[in-house]
Amino acid sequence: MPVYIDISRCIGCRSCEVACKRVHGGKGHVNVHFAGDQASVPLFCHHCEEATCTMACYTGALSKDGERTAFAVEKCTGCGLCRLACPFGVVWTDKLAHKCDLCIGNEVPTCITTCPANALSTDFDLASRRARTRAAMAVAHRAHGGRR
Amino acid sequence: MPKVLVPTICPYCGAGCGLFVAVEKEQATGIEYMPEHPASEGALCSKGNAALEVLYHEDRLQHPLKRKGDGWARISWDEALDIIESNLGGILRKYGPGSVGFLASSKCTNEENYLIEKMARCLGSKNVDNCARLCHAPSVVGLNRTLGAAGMTNPIADLANSKCIFIIGSNLAENHPILTRWIHAAKDAGAVVIVADPRMTHTAWMADIFLQLKPGTDVALLNGMANVIIKEGLTDNEYITKWTRGYEDLVRVIKDYSPEKAAEITGISAGDIIRAARAYAISPASAILYSMGITQHTTGTDNVQAISNMALITGHLGKPGTGVMPLRGQNNVQGACDMGALAEFYPGYKRADDPQTIKFFAEAWGVDSLPAGRGLTATEMIDAAASGEIKAMYIIGEDPANSDPRSNYTRDSLEKLDFLVIQDIFITATAQLADVLLPAAAWAEKEGSYTSTERRVQWSCKAIEPPGEAKPDLEIVCSVAGRLGLKLDYPDAASALAEINRFVPQYSGITRERLNGFGLVWPCPSSDHPGTPILHAQGFKLKDSKAIIMPVHYKPAAEDVSREYPFILTTGRVTVHHNAGSMTRRSPSLMEREPDLFVEINTADASKLGIADGEEVMISTQRGKTTALARLTDRVKLGVVFMPFHFPGTNVLTADFTDPEARIPEFKVSACKISRRD
Repeated sequence: MPVYIDISRCIGCRSCEVACKRVHGGKGHVNVHFAGDQASVPLFCHHCEEATCTMACYTGALSKDGERTAFAVEKCTGCGLCRLACPFGVVWTDKLAHKCDLCIGNEVPTCITTCPANALSTDFDLASRRARTRAAMAVAHRAHGGRR
Repeated sequence: MPKVLVPTICPYCGAGCGLFVAVEKEQATGIEYMPEHPASEGALCSKGNAALEVLYHEDRLQHPLKRKGDGWARISWDEALDIIESNLGGILRKYGPGSVGFLASSKCTNEENYLIEKMARCLGSKNVDNCARLCHAPSVVGLNRTLGAAGMTNPIADLANSKCIFIIGSNLAENHPILTRWIHAAKDAGAVVIVADPRMTHTAWMADIFLQLKPGTDVALLNGMANVIIKEGLTDNEYITKWTRGYEDLVRVIKDYSPEKAAEITGISAGDIIRAARAYAISPASAILYSMGITQHTTGTDNVQAISNMALITGHLGKPGTGVMPLRGQNNVQGACDMGALAEFYPGYKRADDPQTIKFFAEAWGVDSLPAGRGLTATEMIDAAASGEIKAMYIIGEDPANSDPRSNYTRDSLEKLDFLVIQDIFITATAQLADVLLPAAAWAEKEGSYTSTERRVQWSCKAIEPPGEAKPDLEIVCSVAGRLGLKLDYPDAASALAEINRFVPQYSGITRERLNGFGLVWPCPSSDHPGTPILHAQGFKLKDSKAIIMPVHYKPAAEDVSREYPFILTTGRVTVHHNAGSMTRRSPSLMEREPDLFVEINTADASKLGIADGEEVMISTQRGKTTALARLTDRVKLGVVFMPFHFPGTNVLTADFTDPEARIPEFKVSACKISRRD
């Protein structure tokens, strides 16, 4: 159950960054990346099915736990191999590794609730459903020809 | 000790998001979201998430202070009140009440604002205002005239029902982020989004039609759109006949604004103006949202009236998904205006120049006389301080030395005062100039009601004690008033709200008991009234229930570019900061994301000047100069530069030309030059 992003909705407000940092003792696991002046996207752990970070981690601190890529901080040596292994650059080492833990223990990850634009969710199909609805509504609107 | 969740209202913008402050052992230890909240659904922007950082900041003002040489000496509350009594009291006696100016605070509760203006007026001073003067004064003047009420006509969540959302002069994605969830919901249901802004803002990312106009040409754009709507017969004639007057005058004026003419003035293509006009007019429900990009001009009131004209000729009012929506910037700027903390209005928008108003409130407040007529506005008070007409000021929770235009002049003017009292949570730039500083409680340290931009009156509870000897503003104002010979006895916010219920008709039914939950939307005339989320459904609170169409002509901004000052400087906000920045610049997790003042300049302009990205440059106007880091971008057009006003440097540059009616300064247009520092 990773967090999925509807990129068309991200407004670059950085709430997810600040909120993530707030609930993780000052160490955030989200970075909002700006694509020039045109768009923004929050970057954080994808919880890959075949997670290269878990393969690189020789102590087993990073491991798959169902859909989640779990992290056991007590096993981490801070070697930084996970950071090198992650193809998306979303595992960080700051003495010890840190990355998105899906706010385990919370009903919903914090970033999802706090996102003002409703751009984040655990529903894989949501962004696609929205796009399809938009397209259908546009066709219907054109057929109807507006109000008058 | 268990964790207690105390419901409060976010202290930043006017969206009115709810948040729980988690309290353990009398300390605020965290924030919890409020998923049932009708406007925010639990969401919170970066500022809201960082709100607690302000509460425990080491700079919090904890004790009353008095000036001592270049520094401050800690004094007792009694001594502070003694000093105020003898100085403010002395000036009142010697020069008369007109020599004292009061700035109420759009960060304070309704009850506090009501008492501040009551204190000022009962002392005989007409001069009470709040920083709405710098944000939505033109909306108050313009919309009260044309629609009979100043405020968002429809609720935030109702945006989801709109089929066309026209955002002009508002970067809501950065400044009122939670609105975007409703706009995106509308888009998913087929709505068209139009954004007009001199910058390609984050808000513009949502746009289907983006109109990048030259700063200060809004009337030309709006008139051009109205021209298309009228010429193509897209008006709602039934609505015009039934609910408006003045349409014929508009038709006459609008003739001069063909889309081609509007294109020439605004720099937008005529085709885009036509597309936008059609989309707005033909949709079954269209809403217009606007903010400072409309109001902070010498033509602010004209801009607002041009907006209400568009809504009136197309009948996009009084129904779900429609409306005219001024987005308010402070958590309680709507409430401060409702409570009459404005130079031209007593509580409930009763005109100060109407003898009936004076009679009503003199009786209500049990005083022999009250000052009639409009007082000095916040901007005029600064001039009056410079000229010596005003000798003393009592400023609560505002920072004019940073937030007013031409800040060097503002600072010099405030320094000329014989006596200045500042009541705040930090020693702001304005507080540096004070004779006495009174430490106030922040939002989570007191209780009271706040009115959000959608006119929703919500109760915010007290979570923790204020630091040191700081006190809630309500308590301080009552003590000061007592020392100045008034009897303001209000043991708590609820008792002040009970009085507001009696004297402010829009708030009659908004009692303390009914404010549990998510509040009530005014007008709420009786204790069993459910509130009025959508205004103007049954006509307008004006003569014959008809709205007024006020045709306006395009007038250029006060300042134009010249050989010496070849760039147009426009100012605005960024998402991680708030207004003059006294709170957000003290918030580490916000500051680390936007630590420095920057200036956005078009890449091609920068290359001509030999300026590199990140380089420190000098920006100068006729008022002054400041340094900022260059940010090269194609977000602004050639010849336009942008600076956020959260840092002290920006308003050194802006001009104090004001709108003739609303007295708002033209923050959005200044002619400037930019140079390398070497």
